[in-house]
Amino acid sequence: MKITIAHLFPDLLNLYGDLGNIASLTYRMQKRGFEVCVKEYAIDEKIDFENTDIIYLGGGAEKEQVTVCTKLFEQKDEFENYISNDGVMLATCTGFEILGNSFETESETHKGLGIIDIKCVHGKERFIDDVIVECDLIGTTVVGFENHISRIFCGNIKPLGKVLHGSGNNGEDKTEGAIFKNLVATSLHGPLLPKNPKLTDWLISKILERKGESSSLAPLDDSEENAAHGYITDRFLK
Amino acid sequence: MKKIKNMIAIMVCKFLTFASKLMGKKGSSGPGGIALKISPTLLKDLSSQIKGDIIMVCGTNGKTTTNNLIYSLLKSKGKTVVCNNVGANMLPGVACAFINMSTVFGRMKADCASIECDEASLRRVVPHVKPTMVVVTNLFRDQLDRYGEIEMTLGYLDEAIAKVPDVKLVLNGDDPVSVQLGKDRKCITFGVDENCNVNVRESKEGRFCLNCSHELSYNYYHYSQLGDYYCPNCGFKRPSIDYGAKNVSMTDGISFDIDGKIKTKLSVNYRGFYNIYNILASVAVLCECNESCDGINSVFDLYKPQIGRMESFIIDGKQTVLNLAKNPAGFNQAIATVMTDVRPKSVLIAVNDAPSDGRDVSWLWDVDFEKLKESNAKNIFVSGTRKHDLAVRLKYGGFENVTVCETSRDDLKTIISSDGDICYMLVNYTVLFETQSNLKALEGGKSK
Repeated sequence: MKITIAHLFPDLLNLYGDLGNIASLTYRMQKRGFEVCVKEYAIDEKIDFENTDIIYLGGGAEKEQVTVCTKLFEQKDEFENYISNDGVMLATCTGFEILGNSFETESETHKGLGIIDIKCVHGKERFIDDVIVECDLIGTTVVGFENHISRIFCGNIKPLGKVLHGSGNNGEDKTEGAIFKNLVATSLHGPLLPKNPKLTDWLISKILERKGESSSLAPLDDSEENAAHGYITDRFLK
Repeated sequence: MKKIKNMIAIMVCKFLTFASKLMGKKGSSGPGGIALKISPTLLKDLSSQIKGDIIMVCGTNGKTTTNNLIYSLLKSKGKTVVCNNVGANMLPGVACAFINMSTVFGRMKADCASIECDEASLRRVVPHVKPTMVVVTNLFRDQLDRYGEIEMTLGYLDEAIAKVPDVKLVLNGDDPVSVQLGKDRKCITFGVDENCNVNVRESKEGRFCLNCSHELSYNYYHYSQLGDYYCPNCGFKRPSIDYGAKNVSMTDGISFDIDGKIKTKLSVNYRGFYNIYNILASVAVLCECNESCDGINSVFDLYKPQIGRMESFIIDGKQTVLNLAKNPAGFNQAIATVMTDVRPKSVLIAVNDAPSDGRDVSWLWDVDFEKLKESNAKNIFVSGTRKHDLAVRLKYGGFENVTVCETSRDDLKTIISSDGDICYMLVNYTVLFETQSNLKALEGGKSK
């Protein structure tokens, strides 16, 4: 079976080692015998939602955030359809923020794509820390690093989990990220997926479910990944 | 009253520096901070006595080397130079450097100054020390959690430079990011004027035009975002170069000709393409100080690189090379240098995540470690507090010969005695000192 990853605008959104997320998805699908195709989109290309199995939207600097949001507005309806029809997606850092109702840069407020019910307000100080999130979705913790100035408030939408260490969405309500159908959105990088193999596998299982493939994922040897994950949890939770 | 305050501050600083040296600490910045608390105007009083040039060296990579080269060059011209050559590059470290060159009565015994300064700190230093020249070696993506994005660093430097409108900028003309600072300002450039085919695949930050966001094109490309660039959209392009390197040869050390405002031949026993920039910048500064280039080759020959800059050790008859690398550009350059050595080898990569290293290690995924597969590396070892992150990184990069270890003397011995004719150790900031002292001890025959 062939699985297509749509990597949106890697030329513009390339902060924080985001390629690691693509590497993790690719590696873990290939190990399970799937053929993986990574389609890298340039900013002037139209997204082919029809032939996409998972979308990845990463983080960029403020200027790029606005450029990308403006661009995605051109295909807003198709984007919304994709998500409401259980399309799988991972959005990290500023990629998370532009999916909400609005986001703020230093001088202006911008309209977000409105795909998820979150609001982002420009804060004073950046949240910069290692983060540990208790995540019921996968029955374990998610670890990563946050570096954002936005304060993100979830409306009618579930967070990814509860913050055990770090600031999370807004430093107030102990939430981090958001989940809506098969979309996982978070401010965490690190990059996110390599150290959280269970979360990668959750995304992969949703891809397979949507493609009508019901068999469960074969376990892999995750000793390196778990050691890297454990370094963070041991350091801050013990 | 002010004089007495200054005297007390100087004495406290000198005493604390002396005491911490006795205790075996580096003691290069802490005492300076205390001195400034006692007398906030002290540094201004001292630096304003300097009659000659005051040079400040900023930039992501190469600032310590460049600054120390400038210091050596000026010294060779008979100058007495204030210099923070231990790399203490924030305000307290700068204060310490000046105090060390002052009498207890607050009189400076120096002609000029060459000061390495952290990019974010420059705006805090210039109100105390007014530079006549500011050198920017390059602006690469660095420790993200300290500086945020590259535009922010640029903003800090711009803010600092705006406070000294008369300053002469010495900029890396091959860097489309650094040259932004030269807009409508007095500015001298240096660069490598020909294609040297050194490029490796790397992260692309900065390769977009900062004026119009269009992707930059390159007539030739060196590494990171450095090269002969132009923007096909708005016409922004590499400026004309005042101090350019031509006829570059890197087969045995580095040799090249400088062409432009001066003409001279250079041949040095260093390795690494990036050193061309460090040398060019220092020569440009020397010439802009109205000094001649006579005899500079011998200064470069005598210059001893800082610890961990391709520093070589012989342990149990085998050569081990230690090199500091702090960010993707630094690691990619170190890997490129390892690649020029075809011998079978073992490679150690060690990364810590202390605050001075940068706690965010996501940049490891922007390093082109995959290149090492073609480097004849028989074994790869990973270490440092983030050893497991490195192990994951290399696993997903398709490596199978990776061993997780410590940087204890025992483990270093194991690495050195593994297969291969030479051993390369690429480490980041806080790993460097511990590893260097262990290697020194091993070289001296101490294994415990």
